[in-house]
Amino acid sequence: MRLPFLSTAALALALPLQPAASLAADLSAWRLFVADRAEPKVTVVDALAGTILDTFTLREPASLVRSESGRTVFAVQGDAGVVTAIASGISFEDHGDHGDIDVEAPKLTGTELSGRKPSHLVEHDGAFAAFFDGEGVARIISEKAVLGGSSDVSEVSTAAPQHGVAVAYGAHVLLSEPNAEKPDALPVGIRTVDAKGVQVGDVAACPDLHGEASSGNLLVFACATGLLVVTHGDGAPQIRHLPYADGLPEGKATTLLGGRGLQYFLGNYGPDKVVLIDPTADKDAFRLVDLPMRRVHFAVDSVRPRFAYVFTEDGQLHQLDVVAGRIANSLKLTEPYSMDGHWNDPRPRIAVAGDHVVVTDPLQGKLHLVDAASFARAGEIAVPGKPYNIVSVGCSGRIHETE
Amino acid sequence: MSRMLKLAAAVSAMTLFPAMLATASAENLKVVASFSIIADFAKNVGGDRVDITTLVGPNGDAHVYEPKPADAAAVAAADVVLVNGLQLEGFLQRLVEASGTKAPIVELSKGGEVLKIADEPHPHEEDDDDDHAAGEAGHAEGGQHAHEEGHHHHGEYDPHAWQSVRNAEVYVKNIADAFCAADAAGCDGYRANADAYGRKLGALDAEIRAAIAGIPADKRSIITSHDAFGYFEHDYGLAFLAPEGVSTESEASAADVAALIRQIRDDKASAIFVENITNPRLIEQIAGETGLKVGGELYSDALSDAGGPAATYIDMMRHNVATIKGAILGS
Repeated sequence: MRLPFLSTAALALALPLQPAASLAADLSAWRLFVADRAEPKVTVVDALAGTILDTFTLREPASLVRSESGRTVFAVQGDAGVVTAIASGISFEDHGDHGDIDVEAPKLTGTELSGRKPSHLVEHDGAFAAFFDGEGVARIISEKAVLGGSSDVSEVSTAAPQHGVAVAYGAHVLLSEPNAEKPDALPVGIRTVDAKGVQVGDVAACPDLHGEASSGNLLVFACATGLLVVTHGDGAPQIRHLPYADGLPEGKATTLLGGRGLQYFLGNYGPDKVVLIDPTADKDAFRLVDLPMRRVHFAVDSVRPRFAYVFTEDGQLHQLDVVAGRIANSLKLTEPYSMDGHWNDPRPRIAVAGDHVVVTDPLQGKLHLVDAASFARAGEIAVPGKPYNIVSVGCSGRIHETE
Repeated sequence: MSRMLKLAAAVSAMTLFPAMLATASAENLKVVASFSIIADFAKNVGGDRVDITTLVGPNGDAHVYEPKPADAAAVAAADVVLVNGLQLEGFLQRLVEASGTKAPIVELSKGGEVLKIADEPHPHEEDDDDDHAAGEAGHAEGGQHAHEEGHHHHGEYDPHAWQSVRNAEVYVKNIADAFCAADAAGCDGYRANADAYGRKLGALDAEIRAAIAGIPADKRSIITSHDAFGYFEHDYGLAFLAPEGVSTESEASAADVAALIRQIRDDKASAIFVENITNPRLIEQIAGETGLKVGGELYSDALSDAGGPAATYIDMMRHNVATIKGAILGS
């Protein structure tokens, strides 16, 4: 453990009267990984101290994906044709009645996944599948390999280049099926292959496939017609189609997030709505939530399962109560960010870091902190450049020092 | 609103507006049961004064259940939440936190004879001074919420306490206590229902003992999917072996399965069974490799649906005993 990388405010000796030979202390550590919109860099911020820990140079501005464990952050650089792995420096080991946290400096692991136009990177059961649109190929690697600096991947190919997705699902891989008639269009289904690449069962139809997420025991893909819902079947993944409810207005979800702590999915639905989805519900599987303005970004709260957050173009952050299915609180944070213009123009993005909801403000070069409990402003952190995409990693745990 | 206040309001409404009777009488005690067996106990105690929402329904597996927003809404609206405790409901803490409920979370295994995993039985009350049991006592008696520190860690205790009918009687008493605390006006009825149902459970216990007594001592070793029958073994004298541990969350390793197959061959197990909450594939594989014939389906952690052979707790226990005895002795 390297203390310079700790937030000293977060460190508290839990047992100060213990013998010096076995000191234990409770520690909270949260880090923000912020990709710049204009420059090829990722800035690492200590979310508790409000200080910048490090900056990593990339090939181009990136989108970010964090691993379930929080040990790895991937920077996906589509046009540069590479996915760069960063070790977050924070790891957690569950010991049942407590957990041990280890905090080190963030660093590039040395792992780079290369190919034409990487797009979606999906983790399932500790295996990452990066889909390279320009080749129609998925490259799969474990977190253990990534943290060890390896770039050795297994590859699974689809029939053609496509804006696709792959999920390593136990002994099988789920692959998007390209649209054979319109190569530039979105995929049309999900093909299941075994460890040898042999197809298992039929292709599950999913027109205009775009968006996937996991929550609890479920994996879903978003289609123009509804969702594909994947569960563990008898020897192979079981896939069923959940159609959109008849009462829903015209629209579809194209981005999905999976709830943490509660099993649900949150998706976009038209420009000024989000949809809460419980694929197991007998009724009200889809609950629409109207927003006051067009939606800019949304995120689920991994710490407080009841809440998710939506940012709208009027500069407001909204706290979404996923149990009640309504906006519970709203807070003006930034100047307006219009959704007119290019989809990838610099606009705010949301992450949740412990007690705070964090929102990037790329045109002002700062992060806004919102207290998650009171839903009131809790400070700002200046980040040079145009802080844009953001992910957080962190937790609370125990550290053991021996002298 | 407490049941008493509800009834007072109902009486007032009946006096002034007789036509509102149906609406007022509809305000039953709202009860959430974590899984189907507890729901059956609650139904027997609460009768028509309670409305029960079951989180993990028939044939569902509470070990791996993932709560949904609708579950949180049900818990938020509940007057009483009934759970097993002993870490069966791994989802409980986050569900309670998400719900924001003020309802008492009642751990029904409290006061029962609780078995440590692969250990000798010990009374649950003995733990009242440690931090684990203190949390449980708070749930049942103080109306406190579940907290992480109030649970047993490391899978220390076998959660399947209902597989002992004597423990089931404790569950029923705890339910009556909880209902009385939440609805004093209905207490006499709850006590009467609990007593009547308790007598049925007493008869069931004797029935099982008599049935098992008819199985020769050298034929009482059987195989199931996961270690759900430790209490049945302890109370009734059958030996259960299983490839999976007390939770279905972790799959059995190949080494575990191989060791079990060797053990089956050495011990000459008399029968092997699938369970209603687990995939039968592993049991069928073991049956194939050991020459045992699958003797039927046992109901371990959940009831069957209404049309099945184990739609109630009493039916479930009778079905299991009949299935085991039939497979060993020939039906």
